[in-house]
Amino acid sequence: MRKNRPLTFILFVLIVSTDVLETVAQFCFKKTALLQHSVTITSISDALRFISVAVANPFLWLALLAVAVLFCLWVTILSKIDLSVAIPVASFSYITIPLVSIIFFGEKIPFLRWIGIGFILLGVILVSLSSHRQGKET
Amino acid sequence: MEVGILFIVSLIVCTDIFDTVSQLSMKLAINQLDAQVNSWKKAIAFLFNLLRMPRLWLSFIFSAASLSVWLFVLSKADLSLAYSIDSMRYIFITIASLIILRERIGVMRWIGIVSIVFGIMLVTRV
Repeated sequence: MRKNRPLTFILFVLIVSTDVLETVAQFCFKKTALLQHSVTITSISDALRFISVAVANPFLWLALLAVAVLFCLWVTILSKIDLSVAIPVASFSYITIPLVSIIFFGEKIPFLRWIGIGFILLGVILVSLSSHRQGKET
Repeated sequence: MEVGILFIVSLIVCTDIFDTVSQLSMKLAINQLDAQVNSWKKAIAFLFNLLRMPRLWLSFIFSAASLSVWLFVLSKADLSLAYSIDSMRYIFITIASLIILRERIGVMRWIGIVSIVFGIMLVTRV
């Protein structure tokens, strides 16, 4: 099961493109959701209406397309290298998505939140590193 | 933001639990099949067999539910905030792998989870 192949330049570019796709997908999801920012949901029919308005939005389909391409790309990457090598590079999206939020949605990110994002990033990397270790032991 | 952070966190817990159920039933569906795919013919046969499994469709339903809740979250909360909190999916997946798939969880992974929890606490404080 172990691949242990080195992270080549091409693989690095592929993984970085998953960050780009993830960022594009979340950008489009946010665009879809923004149109209904004042909606309140108190019944099933409210929920169904919310979903049908979202489904009619081209941004949702763009996001789903990005997710589909992302999935295929990810399967290809994981057939070439270990998850523990791919995840740290693929986690750049925890930084790129807040950046996109600042630029396109005018969100403000306090310093403490950046520190929090740092711990999350570290945590995600540690979680994936250990799966590699376990793979080695067994 | 006019809604409370607790409301947002609860909704993200909801979307991540749906996502975990989706991932888990997908994994269980794939585990049931012979995943020896070394030719295009076998790959296509694998996909067709997969599509016939009820667990795969269960996975799709939960995935759609997860996406719907996620869109509702994004209609109320900042993307930068919501996406950071969304990292708790790693915690749910780990717990599910431990309990349902009976995988072993190493010390490093627990430390990683503590770090994610701490990060989410910092992110939601502000």
